Amino acid sequence: MLLLIAPAGIVLVLFQIVPIVFGANASFRDWQLFNPAQTWVGLKHYLYILGDSTFLTIVLPNTFLLTFLSVTLSLIGGLALAHYLHRNFAGQWLMQTIILLPQMIAPVIGAMMMRWVFNDQFGVVAAFLDWVGFGPISWLAQRWPSFFIVILTDVWIWTPWFALILLAGLRSLPREPFEAAQIDAAGAWRTFTHLTLPMLRPVIAVCVLIRSIDAFRTFDVVWILTGGGPARSTEVFSIYTYVETFVNLDFGRGSAAAIIGALIILVVAGAMYKVAGRVADVAR
Amino acid sequence: MPKRKGLVRLQLSAALAIWAAASWGSPAAQAEETLNICHGGHPIMVASQKILDKWAKKESVKLTTTLIAYDVYVPKVTQMLTTGSAQCDIIWHNDDWGQLWQQYLVTTDDVAGIRNVAKQPLDAFWNDQHELTVIPMAHTVGTFFYRKDLISDAEVPKTFADMVQIGQKLQKEGKVKWGYVGGMSFNNTWFTLWWTMWNSGCDIFKPIYERDNKVLAANGWTSIIDQPCHQQIVDFWWDALHKDRIAPEATTTYGRNEANAIFMAGDAAMTVADSTFWGDYNDKNKSRAAGNIGMVPYPIGPGRSKPITWLDIWGWAIPKSVSPAHQALAKKLLGEMLTDEDGQVQMWNETGGPPPNVRVWDRLTASDPVFRKLKEVVFDQDHAHSAYYFANWPRVHKAYSDAAIKALTGKREDIPAVLKEGAKAVHDAAVAQ
Repeated sequence: MLLLIAPAGIVLVLFQIVPIVFGANASFRDWQLFNPAQTWVGLKHYLYILGDSTFLTIVLPNTFLLTFLSVTLSLIGGLALAHYLHRNFAGQWLMQTIILLPQMIAPVIGAMMMRWVFNDQFGVVAAFLDWVGFGPISWLAQRWPSFFIVILTDVWIWTPWFALILLAGLRSLPREPFEAAQIDAAGAWRTFTHLTLPMLRPVIAVCVLIRSIDAFRTFDVVWILTGGGPARSTEVFSIYTYVETFVNLDFGRGSAAAIIGALIILVVAGAMYKVAGRVADVAR
Repeated sequence: MPKRKGLVRLQLSAALAIWAAASWGSPAAQAEETLNICHGGHPIMVASQKILDKWAKKESVKLTTTLIAYDVYVPKVTQMLTTGSAQCDIIWHNDDWGQLWQQYLVTTDDVAGIRNVAKQPLDAFWNDQHELTVIPMAHTVGTFFYRKDLISDAEVPKTFADMVQIGQKLQKEGKVKWGYVGGMSFNNTWFTLWWTMWNSGCDIFKPIYERDNKVLAANGWTSIIDQPCHQQIVDFWWDALHKDRIAPEATTTYGRNEANAIFMAGDAAMTVADSTFWGDYNDKNKSRAAGNIGMVPYPIGPGRSKPITWLDIWGWAIPKSVSPAHQALAKKLLGEMLTDEDGQVQMWNETGGPPPNVRVWDRLTASDPVFRKLKEVVFDQDHAHSAYYFANWPRVHKAYSDAAIKALTGKREDIPAVLKEGAKAVHDAAVAQ
């Protein structure tokens, strides 16, 4: 048995556990490109980050806001699309493929496309707004419009993922309760809120859990669209870590930021896991 | 008979041995050597690589390329150098990060032709033992470009105020959407904020234009971005974006791609970019402004009486992690590139990249009116360095960029307070341990 799981175990240890241990070790040291001594400094980096007003008042709120809005809106959109696709109509397979397209594009490319779509000079959105008489809007020059585009892009990329999994969930639901509801003349909305949603709860809970962990560490979309700007106003946890590590070249502080982020998501995910377990129990 | 058979075998063996020995040193066998060049894909780098390729073929060396996006170039190569990877035999090197990598690079004082390069631009590339760690590829000189078909010789701006006035005039006449365009987002600060800063007698730390780290340290790495000379610059750009509107409000988000796209689409009358974009701007397949590009010395602000520009280099470097054989081969090829005067003239003709070998400058000054003009507007002016050369420079640049963009995207009356806060952030970044 041990031999059977050995390959997976070795991969896990080499590519997950060892880097985490290295990172944790670095987070307790002064480790900069020009300071190869790697002096032990204890909790210095952790204290700096936890006392950094940018981290506390901008980075963390942005990260949670992005996670919450992206997951919520993608879930709602995904649920709607899954319902739309859970019917027989001509060209359903074609529609299903088209809806899945954003998921097939690498997030970096999707973000670059969005950056040009919202470009104030050449973007199609700018052209449309100009045509209807609003004039160009400098979307990426202010905090909230930039943040809106970040969320929009993330939702655009991830809604198909929710749709696909929820569609599989919908197709696995037993028919009998729905037939009974039909006999009882229940309306579509009532059927959805009293049957579909409660029966889908376990699938939704797992989707939300997985996606929340992923959204918490979103990097590519934010980096390409705003780089955390203007003036750090859209910075999220992963950008903070990246800037400390690869712009400031402070590997020690960057590692500490990564560990803090990992601990936060561990606590949040643990709480969500408990809630998801309860939701699944109730659904049973 | 057996004797004869033995003789035939001996002859065959000897022939085989001679063939093997001959082919050992032949080009076919040496062609096994491959050098990988890692760079950012800029036309100058491609043109310089073309020269290297010419000499590589003569040396029977195969050159391969790994392109790394500009936005991730420093982190990626830093990671490569600090982990001792031999992925790249030759890397693109730049004064901005000249000091960051000095301990990881092979010294280059012994490369052929290195004595024929300009000395001042090498300031960023000395290691602690005062040995050079770069081989220049081309000069990168900030240049003020304008549309000759829209701005007459008499109208060419001499001051910041002229620039606003001519820009607004052209916009009112409907000839362009914008008077000026340039990059301003992080890592593109030179093309708006910084050229105006230097041309208004200001800088980031005191004393202005000083790059000796000992002097800067003696002055406590005091940032002067909250001083009147710098506030004038931020005020100027705030007005340019929000009041005079000679540049798009979204300039604060533009990198060089966005700025070049606007200028090359014919939507702006003036821009500042590295002279190396001369080729792109004049390429009819890429630019609507092709054939109408002029260059002049920078307009100046209140704090200066004559223009000042930066004159630095892009170069190639060789990581220490590369095998000694590849180091030697890379040095040989780079030396051949540096002494290939015809190749450098061709690079200049194709891209507008000023040659690294200053002997070629005399030749081009005599024969090429465009180079003569560039020499007049850039090489013959006063020069500042476009970066500070110490380990915390990337951190300082980011802190500066964040402060300036915060000031430019906020209210005008908040600028002094934002810059005061920014000066502290810049100082802290400089002295961070």
